[in-house]
Amino acid sequence: MDEETVEETSTSMNGGEPKPNIAPEDTPNQEKLETDRAIEMRKRMESWLNQPMRIQMTDGRTLVGTFICTDKDRNVILGSCEEYVNPPDSPEKEEPRVLGLAMVPGQHIVSIEIDEASNSLL
Amino acid sequence: MESLCRAAEMEASREGILPSDPFDDHDGCSAFSHHLPSRNIPRNWKNITEEFNESASHLKLGELLHDSIFGLFEAMSAIEMMDPKMDAGMMCNQSGHKVLNLQQSIEAGRLKTSDLTNHELIGIMDTTFACLATWLEGHSLAQTVFTNLYAHNPDLIDDRCLRAFSLVILKMVDTIKDKVMRAGVYEEEDFQSMTYGFKLAHNVTELRVVGMLKEIEEDYNRRVRNTRARQGEDRDTATELEHEQCIAVVSRIKFCRMFYSALLAFTKKEIKQSVEEAKKLLLLALDLLPAIQKTVELGDPQVISDDETSPAMPDYPNVMGFEPLVNQRLLPPTFPRYAKIISRRDAISYLEGLMARLRTVCEVTSLTPFHPIVDFFAEFSKQCPCVLSRSVLQQIFLPYNNKKVFGVELVQECLRDTLRGFVCPPVLAQRSPIYNNAQAKEMADSMLMHSIRPMCSLMQIHGHNRARQRDKFGQLLEELAGLQDQAEKVDANLHTIMSKAEVKKTYEASFSCWVMYHTLRTMIQYVQSGFELELYGIHEYHYIFWYLSDFLYAWFISTLSQADSMLGDHETQYAEPQGKGRSNKKKAKRKRPRPLERELALCKAQQALCSGFYKAVMGFRLDTKIKQPNSEFDNEKVRFEHRFSAFSTVPTPPLVQYDQFCEITTPKMSPVALYGTSSELFSHAAELLDKVPNPNPEIQSLIRVAKTNNVVLRLLVGGHKRDSQAPPQFEFTTHRTFPIIKLV
Repeated sequence: MDEETVEETSTSMNGGEPKPNIAPEDTPNQEKLETDRAIEMRKRMESWLNQPMRIQMTDGRTLVGTFICTDKDRNVILGSCEEYVNPPDSPEKEEPRVLGLAMVPGQHIVSIEIDEASNSLL
Repeated sequence: MESLCRAAEMEASREGILPSDPFDDHDGCSAFSHHLPSRNIPRNWKNITEEFNESASHLKLGELLHDSIFGLFEAMSAIEMMDPKMDAGMMCNQSGHKVLNLQQSIEAGRLKTSDLTNHELIGIMDTTFACLATWLEGHSLAQTVFTNLYAHNPDLIDDRCLRAFSLVILKMVDTIKDKVMRAGVYEEEDFQSMTYGFKLAHNVTELRVVGMLKEIEEDYNRRVRNTRARQGEDRDTATELEHEQCIAVVSRIKFCRMFYSALLAFTKKEIKQSVEEAKKLLLLALDLLPAIQKTVELGDPQVISDDETSPAMPDYPNVMGFEPLVNQRLLPPTFPRYAKIISRRDAISYLEGLMARLRTVCEVTSLTPFHPIVDFFAEFSKQCPCVLSRSVLQQIFLPYNNKKVFGVELVQECLRDTLRGFVCPPVLAQRSPIYNNAQAKEMADSMLMHSIRPMCSLMQIHGHNRARQRDKFGQLLEELAGLQDQAEKVDANLHTIMSKAEVKKTYEASFSCWVMYHTLRTMIQYVQSGFELELYGIHEYHYIFWYLSDFLYAWFISTLSQADSMLGDHETQYAEPQGKGRSNKKKAKRKRPRPLERELALCKAQQALCSGFYKAVMGFRLDTKIKQPNSEFDNEKVRFEHRFSAFSTVPTPPLVQYDQFCEITTPKMSPVALYGTSSELFSHAAELLDKVPNPNPEIQSLIRVAKTNNVVLRLLVGGHKRDSQAPPQFEFTTHRTFPIIKLV
């Protein structure tokens, strides 16, 4: 996933955001569907909260931490965050640098991964 | 932004990310391999980028998705990645080249550990000096001295000269760190003590290091002699160059030895002797620096290879053995500052300044405690000296290992002598009727004991940097208020004892007079520091100058006069009896010395100055020449109360309320009349100052201020620039706290 697609999705969503959550009963079917989707997505995202997350940044660094917070612009806050300089699949063993609480601006995010192993434990 | 960083740092330290010495059991080179156990949990990463993007886009603008326990405050304290100011890790990826540590560099052949040329040695030494100076200016060791890979582990260096040099640098760092930390007059902006787990050559003794340096010096001196020009013999240019280079190396080594020995001398027990010794060593070190400065170019890097220039780090040296980014990953997550290494020439000048400052500091031992030393501390602080010289001064005054003044006299004994010289309280005067009264004695002793803490804090505050002093003076006032309270009680009790012992003589409040002296002095310093720190707006000047002139200086002058007359009375009453005839005759001939005379005259002059400023500013206000803040957002009462809120802890003198101030200061004169009075006050101040014998540079600049302002105000009376709408300017270039008024 590269930055261009990110831009696209976010702008298209900007266009179609006539506050679907406020009065769902009065809205037409099309919008209701969208609202349902929004609620579902939100639930999914909430399920990721406090899960281990791995983010790759545009400058090649990888951050591993606990997903704590995000907003519309995909700015992500990771708790107990650790920084790796080498790419994750590189053979070189690397000790991470501990960052603590870190905010990754959405525009610098290349990819986001969630840990399935810890998800299945729950 | 700064507070945000700090908050994040606090956060980090709470989470245990900033341990003091995290890699204690490793040596410096293997610091990277520091191991955290939680890493090896098997992960099964699943890419959710697209899902995540879509989900996030459903959030409303400004909405945060988070757990209930997470608030906006926590969100604020996170460090921001990819922000060059906050994200220290960013640096590592900017320059293309690979960062190697000492071991790796040796293996890769990037640096030599043996047979270094003189040229290389000079380059490395000067760059190390630059790093040392940058560290002393408040940057972290990791970004300065330890960008020198040789300093990571001198054991790996085979070259004897470089090895000894690296060792002495580490030893210096250790000694300086120790001095500064013990003196406790630094804040985070002054000094970084963290060593990041690097070893500071603890396995080598001080003597051994000095011995090694001496050996190197001898070697090099021999080479200097061998390459010296002899009569009737032509030297080739190579020999000539070698000769120069050898001299350059030996003077650097010798400088290190002198400076390091001086630092060690300051730590010795017999303060006065060792300070003398240190002074000599510092002079020797200082003498070497001009020669070092001249030979800096002998160490200039010859060719800058592509590998060594890193465009991302233009401020870092690219001499062999220096790797600016080697410690980048050791830095805590939010590293507040980017360290710019100063140039080698600037570093040598810095060291020259440092030697001179340290020599100045040594002068303190020639003073008698306590007030002359306070003055010395205050004067020294006015030059905004570096943290090392400030710390050394503190340590000379009260060495950490015995807490006696200059290592010999108990603080309370010093204060006793000071009080005798200041007001000569009857209870401390031998011939007074209550000198031998046990109860009175006990009270006086306890009073002195209680004075130790506030007086030592006073000294310590003068050691802090100028900006920090202000707040600390505010806090000191609280302590002094407590002492004042006790002094009044002691004085009252002594009065009772005295009146029982001797009916004729009245007791004067000597202890409270002394405490009051320090309280007022501190208050004046507090208000004046606001000018120096540029805290006050011009529209505030009227109440600031009023508070100084009509209130603080007025009280101060009356306290000083009281002390002056008290001293006179007490000395004539209780002075040494006629028994010691010789000194008595002398005394009779001489006019009685009045130690407070000079201070009193200075205070009167400064009061006149402040009063002159006050009248001038009031005139400007009436002429609407001073820009006022928009009344909608302004409340003078709030500002007034804020400016003097630190004084609310002091019962005497009482805090002037804003309403009181307004009542007293309603102007009844025309602007021209105010300017006239102001000009007279300035000329009066100049007269008073002119009379002070042996004026120091500060008094001279005060005279300049007074005279110039007198002329300016007279011009104003004459109508000069009357129609100008531009506000008058206040220039603090001549004196820190007393400006020169300029009309535009």
